[in-house]
Amino acid sequence: MKKISRRSLSVLLIAALVLTGMFWFIREEYRHGRKWAMYFSMFNPEAEGELLDRNGVMLAAFGKEAHVYAKDWPTRVANYHVTGDYVGMTGTGLLTHFWGSASDYDFLYGIKNEKSGSLSLSIDAEANTYAYRLLSQYGKGCVLVMDYKTGEMICLVSCPSVDPAYPEEELEDGAYVNRALTATYTPGSTFKLVTSAAAIENVPDLESMTFRCSGELDIAGVKITCMEAHGTQTFEQALANSCNCAFAYLTYMHVGQRLMVQYATDYGFLTGHTIDGLYTSAGNYPTEFVGDPELAWSGIGQSTDQVCPFSMLRYVAAIANDGLLAEPTFLKGGSAGKTASLLNASTAKRLQELMRNNVTSHYEEEVDFAALPFCAKTGTAETGLGTSHSWFTGFLQDEEHPYAFVAVIEEGGFGLWAAGLLINKLFQHMIHSGTV
Amino acid sequence: MFTDYLFSISRYAVLFLSVVLLIRNLRSLLSGKAEPETWAYLRVGEENVPIQHWESLIGRTRSADLRLFGEGISPIHAVLKRTDKGRWFVYDVFSKGGVWVNGKAVPVSGTNLQHGDTVNFGGSCVRFLNLSTEQRQRNEQKRTGAGVRVNPVVSLAELTMLQLFLLLQHSFSARQADMTSIALAFATLVVLEWCVYEAMRLLDRTGFELELLAFYLTTLGLSVAASAVPEDLYKQILLIVASVFLFLFSGWWMSNLKRTNAMRIPVGILALALLALNILTSDKINGAKSWLEFGGYSFQPSELVKVFYIYVGAATLDALYMKRNLYSFILYSAACVSALALIGDFGTALVFFTTFLVISFMRSGSLATVLLAVTGAVLAGLLAMTVRPYIARRFAVWGHVWDDVYGAGYQQTRSISATASGGLIGKGAGAGWLRGIAASDTDMVFAYICEEQGLIIGLCMIFSVILMALFAVKCAKNGRSAYFSIAACATAALMLVQLALNVFGTLDLLPFTGVTFPFVSRGGSSLLSCWMLLAYLKAADNRRGASFAVDPVNRIMTWEEEHGVEVVSWGEEQAAAGKKKSL
Repeated sequence: MKKISRRSLSVLLIAALVLTGMFWFIREEYRHGRKWAMYFSMFNPEAEGELLDRNGVMLAAFGKEAHVYAKDWPTRVANYHVTGDYVGMTGTGLLTHFWGSASDYDFLYGIKNEKSGSLSLSIDAEANTYAYRLLSQYGKGCVLVMDYKTGEMICLVSCPSVDPAYPEEELEDGAYVNRALTATYTPGSTFKLVTSAAAIENVPDLESMTFRCSGELDIAGVKITCMEAHGTQTFEQALANSCNCAFAYLTYMHVGQRLMVQYATDYGFLTGHTIDGLYTSAGNYPTEFVGDPELAWSGIGQSTDQVCPFSMLRYVAAIANDGLLAEPTFLKGGSAGKTASLLNASTAKRLQELMRNNVTSHYEEEVDFAALPFCAKTGTAETGLGTSHSWFTGFLQDEEHPYAFVAVIEEGGFGLWAAGLLINKLFQHMIHSGTV
Repeated sequence: MFTDYLFSISRYAVLFLSVVLLIRNLRSLLSGKAEPETWAYLRVGEENVPIQHWESLIGRTRSADLRLFGEGISPIHAVLKRTDKGRWFVYDVFSKGGVWVNGKAVPVSGTNLQHGDTVNFGGSCVRFLNLSTEQRQRNEQKRTGAGVRVNPVVSLAELTMLQLFLLLQHSFSARQADMTSIALAFATLVVLEWCVYEAMRLLDRTGFELELLAFYLTTLGLSVAASAVPEDLYKQILLIVASVFLFLFSGWWMSNLKRTNAMRIPVGILALALLALNILTSDKINGAKSWLEFGGYSFQPSELVKVFYIYVGAATLDALYMKRNLYSFILYSAACVSALALIGDFGTALVFFTTFLVISFMRSGSLATVLLAVTGAVLAGLLAMTVRPYIARRFAVWGHVWDDVYGAGYQQTRSISATASGGLIGKGAGAGWLRGIAASDTDMVFAYICEEQGLIIGLCMIFSVILMALFAVKCAKNGRSAYFSIAACATAALMLVQLALNVFGTLDLLPFTGVTFPFVSRGGSSLLSCWMLLAYLKAADNRRGASFAVDPVNRIMTWEEEHGVEVVSWGEEQAAAGKKKSL
C-alpha cells in the first residue's frame, strides 16, 4: 500500500500541469485580453450605435433590443459589401469593424459599453444604390469611386450581393465576395497606364518615337494583334488607340521585364493593402524570366497579369492627385491629410494629359460625357474563354468633383461600351442629382 | 436602476459564495493529517505492529507496509489481506523462504488467519492478533470524524444561496416564457441536494464535501443549460436526478469489495460490447460517430465505458503481486483505445490513454512500461493523423487560430475572445454572446462560464476538480484496499486530463479535441459518467463516518461474530497469560 500511495503522487504531476497551464493562460489574458476581447466586441450585446452614410442615411443600427439594417431592400443590397453583417459572413464588412469600437475593455470587467454613438461613413448610399442598379444590368463586377483629394470612398459596390436582413434567401455564387477589394482580374489595356509610366521615365526619346502598326506584330513566332491596323502613331496616339503592337514592342524592346516588375511593385499592384483595417488582395505580374513574347503580352495587361480593382483605384487616384495618394478611407472627412507619394509628379502630370487625350480624341466620339472632364483608360481583358472583362478607370479633372474611379464588368465585352457607359451614367447621376 | 443594482449584487454574491464554498471544502478535505485505521496487529518480537490497511505488503523492502528483517525474508514476501467481512488471509507472493501458518505451508490460494495464529515468514515467526469489534470501535473513536472541522450544513446552505442568486441572474436575462422551467430546475436541484444530505445523515455519514463540489459544478452546468437551451431544461434536470441516483447506486455497489472484484470481467466485456455496438450502429456526427440514439436521447457509450474502464483497471494488492504482469490489462486498454479511434473520438481516446498510463503506473510502478506505452501512442497518433485528415487539421491550426478566424480557428478564437470579454467578474447569466455559437455549452463550456460568470468562477471550476484530485491522493495514503486507491487516483487523473483538454483546447493551449468539462458541460452521458466516477472517490474516503460507499467500523459484522466464535482479544489474552510471551 505504501507503494500505491507513493505512485498516487503521479496524479499531482497532472494537477501541477493543469495549474501551470491555467496560470500561463491568465498571464496571456492579462497581456492580450484587450486584443482578444475587442476582436469580437461587435458581438457585445450591450453595444449601441449606428452606421450612417455621408448624408445621414442609416445603414445599420445595433442596440440591446435589436440589430437592424437599412429599411429598404436596394440600400441594404447595394451597400452590403460596405456594411457587411452582424454575423461576419463577409470578411470585409465595416459593421463588424466599427461596431466593436462602441465597446471598451479592461482586465477586471472585460468588455464594457463605453462609447455608444453613431459613425458617419464617406460612402454615398444613394450613389451606391444607383451604381448597383446599373451594374446588376450587366452582370457581375464592381464599381469604386474615391475622392482623390481627401481619400474618402464615395462608392463601393460589388455585384451580385446579399440582403443581410434575409441572408437565408437563395444567393448567387460568390455573392459574399467583395469583388472591389478581394478579387483580382486580368487588367487588359488598363495596365498600359503602368507600362506608360515605366516608358515615360525610362525611354529617353519616347515622345519623338513613332510606332507603325500593321494590325499584327510577330515576336519570335508569336503574333500580337490589334483590332485594326493603326498605321504610324506617336506614343500619345498609341495609348489613345490602345495599340497592342506598339505597347508590346515598347515593353520587350525598351522597358524590359526588370523595370516592369519594379514599376508594378512600386505602384502597389503586387501586394495587398488595408483600408480601415480591411484587407485587400494582392495582384500578380510575371516575375520569373518568361521570354519576349510572354513579356510583350504582360506589358499590355494579358499573360498572367492580375490586378485587384482597389489597387487600380489607388494608382489612378495618385495620378489624378499629381502623384500623391491620399490614404483611402471609409470615414467621412477623409484620412486627415495622410498622403503618400506613389509616382513622380511629372510622370503623373504627363499621364493626366495622356488620359485626357484618350477621352477627347477617342472616347468622346462614341460616348456623350456631357462636358464632364473625364480622364480615363479603357480595358478589354481577354479571359481566355472567348470573353472579355470590361474595364474603365480614370478620374474627373474637376476641382469640385475630384473623383477617381474603377469599374469592372465580368465578361462585359468592350471596355468603353460596358464599364465606360456605366461610369458615365453614374457620374452624370451623382453630379446632376447633387448628392455629392 | 434598482434592477441594475440587484443584477450586480447577484453577480458578486455568486462570485463570493463560490470562493467561500471552495475554501471551506478545501479546509475540510485537506487540512489535518490523514489518520490511519488499525485493523489488527502483528506481534513481532516484543512489539505490536499495527496493520493499517486491508491489504498490506510484508517484506524487507522499504516500501513494504509491514517491514520484517528476519534472515529468510525476501524484499517482497507476502500479502496480508482482509475481506470486507473481516476475514484475514495471507498470501505467499513468490517469496524465496516461503510462508507457513501454524506449521502448514501457505498455498497459492492463500490461508485463512485466525487470532493468535503463528505465521512463519521464511524462518521468522510472528503472531497474528486480531482486534475485536469493540476494540476497533474504540480506536475508531480516536480518529477525527468527517465534517467536524467544517460544518457541511453551512456549506450546503451557502451552495443553496449561490443557486438562488444564479436564479436571480437568470430572471433578468431569460425570456418570460422560460422563467418557470428555469426556476423549477433550480428548485429541483436544491431539493435534490438537501435530500441526499439528509439521507446521508440518517446513515450517520457526515462527509459531504465531494458531493458539494459535484453539486457546485452541476449547478454551473445547469446555469449554462438554462441560458443556452431553456426549452430543453426539463431533460437536463431529469438527467441530474438520474445521475445522482446512479452515483448512490455505484457507491453502494463499491462498498462491497468482493462483489466489485468478482464483477470485473463481466463489466469489462460489457464495456467492449458497448463500444462494438457504437462502431457498428451509429452515424457520423461532426467527424466522429460517437453517439447512439434512442428514444429522443442521444447517448455516448464512450462516457459510460470510462467508468467501466477504471472498474476493470483497478486491482487489489494480492492480485498485483500474484500476477505481476500487465499484459492482459494493456491488451484490454489497446482494444478500448483503438475502438475509440475507430469511432473517431480522438479526445476521449486521449483521456483513456492518460487514464491507462496512471493505472498501469500505479499497478506496476514501471516507468519503462509507461514510456513504452507513450512511444507506442505517439506513433499511433501520427498514424491516426494521416488516416483521419480532420485530426491533422486540428493539429495544423493549433497555436495559429487567429490566422483562420472564420475557418479552422472558428470555435477557439470565439472562445478566447468570450473568455476575455467576461473579465474577472463576468457579464451575468444569459448575458453573453458565446451562447449563439454551436457547441458552446459543451466543448467550449469553460469560455461560456468565463464570459457569463467571470474568470474567477472559471478558476473555481478548475480548482474544484483539482481539489477532488488532491483528496484522492491524500486518501491513497491510508487506503483500505489498493483497488479503491487505484480507482480514485485513476478517476482524479481522468477528470484532470479531461478538464485540461476541454479548457486548454478552447483556449488554444492544446489542440481542440471536443471533450467535455466534468459535471459542467451540457450533455447527458457525460454528466452520468462523472457522477458515477465520483463514487470511486467516495469509496476511497475512509475518514470516520465519511462515506456511504465505505462500511463504517461499527457496522461491520466480523467473521468471528458471524460464526459465533468467541474472540479473546489481544489485551485480555495477555492479561490471562500473566506475562508477555515472546516469539
